[in-house]
Amino acid sequence: MHDITGSFGDVMQKQLELAAQNYELLKNRGIRAVNVMGAIGSGKTELILRMAEKLRERGLRVGAIAGDVAGDDDYQRFRSAGIPALQINTGDQCHLDAHQVGHALENFPLDQIDVLFIENVGNLVCPADFPLGTDVDLVVISVTEGDDMVRKHPKMFAQTDVVAINKVDLAAFVGVDPERIAADYKKVNPHGKVVFTAAKSGRGVDELLAALGF
Amino acid sequence: MHEYSLAQGLLNSLLDYLRAHPVPGRVKKVHVKKGELLILSEWALKEAWRILAEGTELSGSELVLESVPVRARCDSCGYEGNVRYLAEEGWHMSVPVLSCPRCGAPVRIMEGRDLAIVGLSVDESSLSKPERL
Repeated sequence: MHDITGSFGDVMQKQLELAAQNYELLKNRGIRAVNVMGAIGSGKTELILRMAEKLRERGLRVGAIAGDVAGDDDYQRFRSAGIPALQINTGDQCHLDAHQVGHALENFPLDQIDVLFIENVGNLVCPADFPLGTDVDLVVISVTEGDDMVRKHPKMFAQTDVVAINKVDLAAFVGVDPERIAADYKKVNPHGKVVFTAAKSGRGVDELLAALGF
Repeated sequence: MHEYSLAQGLLNSLLDYLRAHPVPGRVKKVHVKKGELLILSEWALKEAWRILAEGTELSGSELVLESVPVRARCDSCGYEGNVRYLAEEGWHMSVPVLSCPRCGAPVRIMEGRDLAIVGLSVDESSLSKPERL
């Protein structure tokens, strides 16, 4: 047997390079971008809409990219709120990747925005492996998903900058302790920031913006 | 979740490599380093390789995976090296904590997200015509 050693094309390295290109492009345009991840129904779109309202009150222009396997429901919600938006249908892929986002940025009116929210596909596994080139990563957990979400996806949360524990006003009804979710997250990510939110009522939205660096 | 697409990426890059750099025999093992931060099933990755390699010159080759631990760099105190792990009962997984083990500041990840081919084991005796060498 004959052994050959070397390095033959790191498939993840290509993703990191594409993400770095997106990051540079957004930096050059002076745009701050947030990768918004979380399970289906966690409240990602609603939280983005609430954050967009607050940011616009401060004179910042907000845009959004909606990533979904199919459909344009989130895109329509952004457009109805007057937010420049673009839909990426991943065609059954379970996450957005830097390549898709790079193409979306080519078609986006970047001169019309200061802040870009990129709403990832509802999924708590794969998006963690595919950085998009954003400034900050946010994962939205709703209390209705149970208080074991961090335990079930520890690698995802170990790499996430900010967690919004959403729908906290429902916690008592579903018998979930939001503090337990927060404690699990702080164990896997001592530097992460946790914010309790209830997007529908607007609770915690200012705190979430502060945690995201706005 | 995306083991097949990543296995296809590895396979394509290796087939390209072999076209440019022919090896003296049949590739039996393909050594791959896999960063431990990647959320990939090793079993599924090997199975995807086995199926996707069929019909190519890599048919019958085995993917040998080596898990690469996180290496981190701390911009606060200059530490560079491994990180500590959280392994609590009930988590069923050892999770790297991306925090400096020396000073507690956030760290930058230097290694731990890779998925790359790092070596091949080639069986020279599989050549029926040694003169091809």
